[in-house]
Amino acid sequence: MGLADLLNLLASAVLLAGIYTAMSIGMTVIYGVMKMVNLAHAGFMMLGAYFAYEVSQRTPIHPLLAAVLAAPLFFLLGVAVYWSMLRRVPVADEPTLPSLLLLFGLWLVLQNIGYAIWGADDRSILTPLTMATFRFGAITIPIIRLIVFGIALLSLVSLHVFLTRTWFGRAVRALTQNREAGQLAGIDTRRMAMLAFGLGIAFTGLAGALLATLYSFTPDFGGSFMLRAFVIIVLGGLESFSGVAIGAIIVALIETFSILVVPASYQLAISFILLVVALLVLPGGIEGLLQRRRLLQ
Amino acid sequence: MTALLVVKGLTRYFGGLAAVTGLHFEVNEGEIFGIIGPNGAGKTTAFSMIAGSLPPSAGSILFRGKEIAAWPSHRIVHLGICRTHQIPRPFTGMTVYENVEVGFRYGGRRSASRGPVAAGIERLLEFTDLSPWVHTPAGALPTGNRKRLELARALATDPVLLLCDEICGGLNPAETQAMLALVRRLRDAGITILYIEHDMRAVMGTCDRILVLNYGEKLAEGTPHEIQHDDAVIEAYLGRRALARPAGGLEGRV
Amino acid sequence: MNAIASPCSATNRLPAGVAALTLMALLLVPHVGLPGNVIRLLLVTLLWVATSLAWNLLGGVAGQVSFGFAVFYGLGAYAAAFAINGGIHPYVAFAVGGLVATLGSILIGIPTFRLRGPYFAIATIGVNEAVRIVMSNLEITGGASGYRLLMTGRFSQGEHYYTALGMATLAFLASWYVMRSPFGLALRAIREDQDAAADLGVHPFRCKLTVHALSACLTGMAGGAFARYVAYIHPDGVFSFATSISILLMSVIGGLGTLPGPVIGAVVYSIVQEEMAVNFPQFHLLLYGALLILIVLFEPGGLVGLAKRIARGVRGRLTGGPGEPTAARVPLPKVES
Repeated sequence: MGLADLLNLLASAVLLAGIYTAMSIGMTVIYGVMKMVNLAHAGFMMLGAYFAYEVSQRTPIHPLLAAVLAAPLFFLLGVAVYWSMLRRVPVADEPTLPSLLLLFGLWLVLQNIGYAIWGADDRSILTPLTMATFRFGAITIPIIRLIVFGIALLSLVSLHVFLTRTWFGRAVRALTQNREAGQLAGIDTRRMAMLAFGLGIAFTGLAGALLATLYSFTPDFGGSFMLRAFVIIVLGGLESFSGVAIGAIIVALIETFSILVVPASYQLAISFILLVVALLVLPGGIEGLLQRRRLLQ
Repeated sequence: MTALLVVKGLTRYFGGLAAVTGLHFEVNEGEIFGIIGPNGAGKTTAFSMIAGSLPPSAGSILFRGKEIAAWPSHRIVHLGICRTHQIPRPFTGMTVYENVEVGFRYGGRRSASRGPVAAGIERLLEFTDLSPWVHTPAGALPTGNRKRLELARALATDPVLLLCDEICGGLNPAETQAMLALVRRLRDAGITILYIEHDMRAVMGTCDRILVLNYGEKLAEGTPHEIQHDDAVIEAYLGRRALARPAGGLEGRV
Repeated sequence: MNAIASPCSATNRLPAGVAALTLMALLLVPHVGLPGNVIRLLLVTLLWVATSLAWNLLGGVAGQVSFGFAVFYGLGAYAAAFAINGGIHPYVAFAVGGLVATLGSILIGIPTFRLRGPYFAIATIGVNEAVRIVMSNLEITGGASGYRLLMTGRFSQGEHYYTALGMATLAFLASWYVMRSPFGLALRAIREDQDAAADLGVHPFRCKLTVHALSACLTGMAGGAFARYVAYIHPDGVFSFATSISILLMSVIGGLGTLPGPVIGAVVYSIVQEEMAVNFPQFHLLLYGALLILIVLFEPGGLVGLAKRIARGVRGRLTGGPGEPTAARVPLPKVES
């Protein structure tokens, strides 16, 4: 295994980590503020993918631009979903069965909407960039992956700025750490939940649209990514925003380099095993945040 | 008097915060031993460690000479130590009868045989004045009854040492007196009682000995009379100026 | 984590008479000349009944909601299929399926039961999918192309039917027994408040492992019966996430934690599947998703909960007073939801 090959794998892993982070951050925001595990995550990713597809097919807008446009639209979608359904579910300090089942049911509904509108055939988004590569010394990088990585990075940076520099963002962080204290400080948790859900869905839709430029998709798209997102945020410590990046890097590295050891078809199984191990062995995620939660006996 | 429970150097940290530090005390068989202190003094934390709900960061807990620190709560229950919860945790979807039944069937010490289940449970419910609600879902009970259910459940495990956590919290004076009478009857029946309480009057009248905690550390230990005249305690509760006043201590003030 | 429905040991609500009558009616089915496809539908329904009753013991009564229970169905199916192809008598093979599933449940339960509620649920998804992928790649079991049973003995549809009925009856009796037993009491306590239960002497880990083993065993046997019936199994069928979800759905629709709930849910599910396959094949995800959403938002007790609510309303109107259930004295304590 030459150095060039290793470097290429490493580059792949880094790019993948960026995308995985963007994909998982939506779930972290929702979990942090609402303490709900968004099982409909895959459904919104799927909608993001098809959104990019439709926009790029019907208008001259480039799919990557469509992905960026998806964010504000999906924010509104998330707010609408919260308003119509989620606000009726009682909040708790830990995810509850009703919220799990509700969001799961929503995923099923979204899938069916997908099948009804677009059918079960594979779709993909092809652009002139899809096949182009960029050579940097011994490393060859598909340009589209680079751009997707760039957009993902930009969105993460803007999220970081948002979380640290705006009132809303600070309220999100406060609620994530201690909901009761946040309430006492006067934060309207209901409204925050709505906005946080919107924000989470915005990122999820964006991620789905970005991934649609890299992979082909059908209405059940996103399931495997969603499970990866679980692994990532558990590894990162369920409520930690920076932990997500760490988790994503770990998962991306393991997945990319596992090709050397096991056949590619086992990659997903490795993620799942990693999920179970992560849930068990890392009581605090990498960031140690789960110490305060009765997650493990 | 034999020491039933010996606690040595008991310590618990939460992150960087020391909730309890180096706690030493002994509880003798057959006494009512009170633990008092301001909010946040570490009373419930100490309790939780003894009962097995929380593992200590350091220290030892000896029950009848046996080291039980860091044991899980169900094992500790089988030895004969049972706790009530400060905020009652009834099994809300189950009836009062079933709540007590859980303790009765699963908490009993291995050695003791306890007769027919239904009769035993009914006796406990009568003792705690819960008989009218025997088939009511526990979720429908008001606070006072929930506290009594906590007690009934704990008693169902046939404890040797009963840990009562603010069992009079939220009760009106009449209810408080009734509850304290119950506690005294339990002691008379041979159960040793470790008792956290906030209400000083209740504690002074009921306990044989008292431990005062402050900021997770022992402030004083002794009989009610000794405690009421202990300088450190007076200072903690009434402030430095109270010390300058002539004798009188804490009687009548708390 | 609380179950979305307040539990109820609806055991003595369901008159034993109704259950007995139903059983007798079902026993007669192959002899009354019903068309073959009706018997087939009943047969498949009975297997679902068995599986959903089994799942309900773990998810409904004990409150450990598994989103990946198909793993035991699949393990039982493959184990039994292997055994049958190896010359072992089918009934023994079913027991083998149950045994393999039970062993699997212990291996899976030991790590996963250290997790609570939703984290347990997510872990079960991970386990289920991991096993499915491994089975899809394993040469010895045929990999993704599946595994075929060699029909060493022809079985009549009647025989398949009675096997399924036997499985369902076994699961029903096991559920009925557990729900009334002290063990069931401990499980419910664990579901309500695991720590408080431990504070009263219940051993949560051991209880959870035990019920997990029982549920897995029943499900594995049903999986074995299924394998023999269809004679061809593949990982994307018996280990699929869709199967896991269906199993969960049946109990939730019918009434999580109750005895009639999983039965009713399985029946409803089977009928809907049949209908949808014919008329609206493309809408069943929508239906199940919408059902889940509606149940969570409006009637967490499922169909059983809905029926009780109606019954209370009717009773209220008849007696002219509030429809509150009276606390009558019965041999076993009664719980109202």
